[in-house]
Amino acid sequence: MPISTEDLEGGITRVILEGRLDIEGAAAVDLRMNVIAGTKKAVIVDLQNVSFLGSMGLRALVAPARAIKGRGGRIVIFGPNELVEKVLKTSGVDTMIPIHHELQNAIAALQ
Amino acid sequence: MTGNGKDTTGERLNLRSRISELAQVPPWIERLAARHTIPATTQFAMDLCLEEVLSNIVQHGYSNDPNHPIVVQFTNATEDYYMFVVEDEAPPFNPVVAPVLPAAGSPDEVQVGGNGIRLLRRFADTLEYQARPTGNRLTIGFSVAGSPIAKD
Repeated sequence: MPISTEDLEGGITRVILEGRLDIEGAAAVDLRMNVIAGTKKAVIVDLQNVSFLGSMGLRALVAPARAIKGRGGRIVIFGPNELVEKVLKTSGVDTMIPIHHELQNAIAALQ
Repeated sequence: MTGNGKDTTGERLNLRSRISELAQVPPWIERLAARHTIPATTQFAMDLCLEEVLSNIVQHGYSNDPNHPIVVQFTNATEDYYMFVVEDEAPPFNPVVAPVLPAAGSPDEVQVGGNGIRLLRRFADTLEYQARPTGNRLTIGFSVAGSPIAKD
């Protein structure tokens, strides 16, 4: 699963995930997500191009989010499609990682 | 088990108990969806439920011990109702009544794991479990008209 990062103004890091965040996808991004979680304090996880999210994919989001918040940082999710958002809400992850559909709102939530 | 053949292009998928085998499932569902004109929302639900069920069988039912059989049989019961019957030879486990971790009461209580059964129950329309003499049979049903996704 492709993962890339982009530095935005204000010390914000945009993490762009693409494809299926399933068991294989989660394994592919786990290390990179953990590195980001250990070094960044304001993170947007861009899910615009994520077509599938399963429980192992949720782990790949929740564990880094917990680490970032544990260091006093903030993390938000940006742009999930309707079905991916339903997975996030069913699992309650949206209460831990706020979901935004406008990039400006996602950035504002981190400032 | 319903069979031990190698047919993965038809209505039945024969897997061994390895996580790597699960990569066969999404393209199989895609082919079924194309063949039966299954809507994308229902296809997503099928994909999700099978990933949760099959990964649970491999990781917990068989404790990641490879080479045990898992058979998934697809049935198009009616025009807008589809079923997958999943059979394994793992110790008894009934996901229909298995406890689910409590829902998050606060953001910090969100569990890292344990969401598989919750997602299965939310995205499947029907779940029916049968203990077999040598394992488990789980029937997962999806109704296009009555899908919890479609209704939202």
